[in-house]
Amino acid sequence: MGKIKIGIYDFTDCEGCQVKLVALKEKLLVLEKRVDIINWRLGQDNNSSGPFDISIIEGTPITKNEIDLLKELREKSKILIGLGSCATLGGIPGIMDKSEREKWYKKIYGENYKPRGIDALPLSAYVKIDFLIHGCPIDENELIRIIEDLLAGKKPKYRGYSVCFECKQANNPCLLLEGKPCLGPIIQGGCGAICIKGGSSCYGCFGLRKGAEVKNLIKVLEKNLSKEEIERHFSMFLNKVNKYE
Amino acid sequence: MNNEFIAKIEGHGNLTIDWKKNQVKLNIHEGERLFEGLLVGRTAEEMHWITPRICGVCPIAHNLASLAALEDALGIKINNTTVLLRNLMQCGQMIQSHVLHLFFLSLPDYLGIDRGTELFKKNPKAFKSALALKEVSDEIAEIIAGRSVHPTRTRIGGFHKIPTKISLKKLLDKLEETEKDAKKALELVSKINFPELKVKLQLAAQNDDKIIAVSSNNIEGRKESLIRDYKEVIEEEVRDYSTAKFGKYKGEEMLVGSLARLAVYKNYDEKYKIDFENPFYNNLAQAIEILIYHQKAQKIIKELLDSEMDKKVIEPSKNVSLRGIGATEAPRGGLYHEIVLNNNPSASSGQVITEANIITPTVQNLTSIEKSAQNLLEQTKNHSKKELERLLVMLVRAYDPCITCSVH
Repeated sequence: MGKIKIGIYDFTDCEGCQVKLVALKEKLLVLEKRVDIINWRLGQDNNSSGPFDISIIEGTPITKNEIDLLKELREKSKILIGLGSCATLGGIPGIMDKSEREKWYKKIYGENYKPRGIDALPLSAYVKIDFLIHGCPIDENELIRIIEDLLAGKKPKYRGYSVCFECKQANNPCLLLEGKPCLGPIIQGGCGAICIKGGSSCYGCFGLRKGAEVKNLIKVLEKNLSKEEIERHFSMFLNKVNKYE
Repeated sequence: MNNEFIAKIEGHGNLTIDWKKNQVKLNIHEGERLFEGLLVGRTAEEMHWITPRICGVCPIAHNLASLAALEDALGIKINNTTVLLRNLMQCGQMIQSHVLHLFFLSLPDYLGIDRGTELFKKNPKAFKSALALKEVSDEIAEIIAGRSVHPTRTRIGGFHKIPTKISLKKLLDKLEETEKDAKKALELVSKINFPELKVKLQLAAQNDDKIIAVSSNNIEGRKESLIRDYKEVIEEEVRDYSTAKFGKYKGEEMLVGSLARLAVYKNYDEKYKIDFENPFYNNLAQAIEILIYHQKAQKIIKELLDSEMDKKVIEPSKNVSLRGIGATEAPRGGLYHEIVLNNNPSASSGQVITEANIITPTVQNLTSIEKSAQNLLEQTKNHSKKELERLLVMLVRAYDPCITCSVH
């Protein structure tokens, strides 16, 4: 049996999750011994167009070309993985509503510009995705855990606990108790509550966990925040999620 | 040339070549994320959270430019500890980005290998140095900014958390150890024979509150402009084959980034012979800068260790302009963020953004990439089309374009 053939693709995004891949350093060498990366535009010159055992896709398919390529990759890949919040949730580009794009194209590029972008949506808006590696950016340890599972032929599992749980383990003071916005209780764990540890809030880049008590969290948030403020906080990463999950 | 995207550059672009006219077009295909639009309606404190996501290779630069713009708008003068810590973040950012570009994207061209990891077989010592430099620069980002990609610890007026002196001391020890790696990397790159090319460009870099430009064929003649006039100095135009705008310095093709900084700051050891008219030398300039910022990082940490670190966050002034410009030298050159805030802050979430403008380094480099490519075709004789195509792609890579930044 030959080595597992992997393709790594990127659509519209910041490429920070691929930077995290390079940050695996020696571990990337170990990975290269076990698999055959036959397509990685950012990493290498010699690239093949498949078929792939596993395709890993970073970014949101925002242009028609990207949407077409995504559909093609679905056909050519046994397993399709989304890498990072742009791919799994629509990410930061998803803050922009489709109906607002026209106005901003005109303002930023002028009247005569022919836009390429259609709408910043998660991969799952167009094709079936087998697993989502969440995060903005992804967490290295989570990435290794999930790749290990995939290479062992196992179906990877999502963490069964929330960011809130990890945050308590990390002994961080609770933002909600301080009356500040935080999505920790409804967001899937795996990040180690790294943002809250740094002093920032949780905006939910790891996505909603199964059975999340969203309404109850909103009730808690409403004690200190206006509806508009709550909506804004949710829209950082989750603006396009409810519609497509 | 085929329509495939150029490999080993940050983002999606390709070249179309008109062989008869010796003309080269750099097509940019990256989708528009419309950052200047999506920032409107967000809170001030969210801006430096959002803008790093413009680019995962230089997120700290965007974080710092946004913070500077916001603090300008809110009349905040940050304390010395914050200045030093942010300068340290910038050092880490420069090394992170330059190492990634040199070893993983550009060096394979000169060494005749396909990918960065093949350096492991070809030159294991150099590969080890590259990894050590990547690691120590990621650590600078982690210890000061909270994470290697996309900061978590920074905030308007200072930091949510500042590092302990113990962690800074450890970082200093590690930097003292990896200085030999920075020197090795420079030695390796300084031995490269770069392809020949002669281009007349304006090399521009920020210096305090000024933008300084010099001509590539005469770096002694300095032209000064004020950063606050950045929109007049750097003109942007929209082209139908690109989702990124193309920038010029007062009507002339400009180059920003490592090569321009060395020409303007003249802060390098003159034993390295840099040809400022040849953009391929940007790769040597990056290797020189890895050492410069590596040494600067150590100096800053020593200063922090010798000082009483002040974690106080500075609050907005009473009379604020609500309009601010933040500029910083990103790895690829001068970065500009401009912001306007509304004047009725809510108690819990503060001011909201009403206007935003961002000019990235790669926008400023795109016009000169095309000019350099054209000059390369005119000046390189006796090469097959295939060889010329390879040289053109190498040239694009030597510029280290960040296409996701340029589109944003």
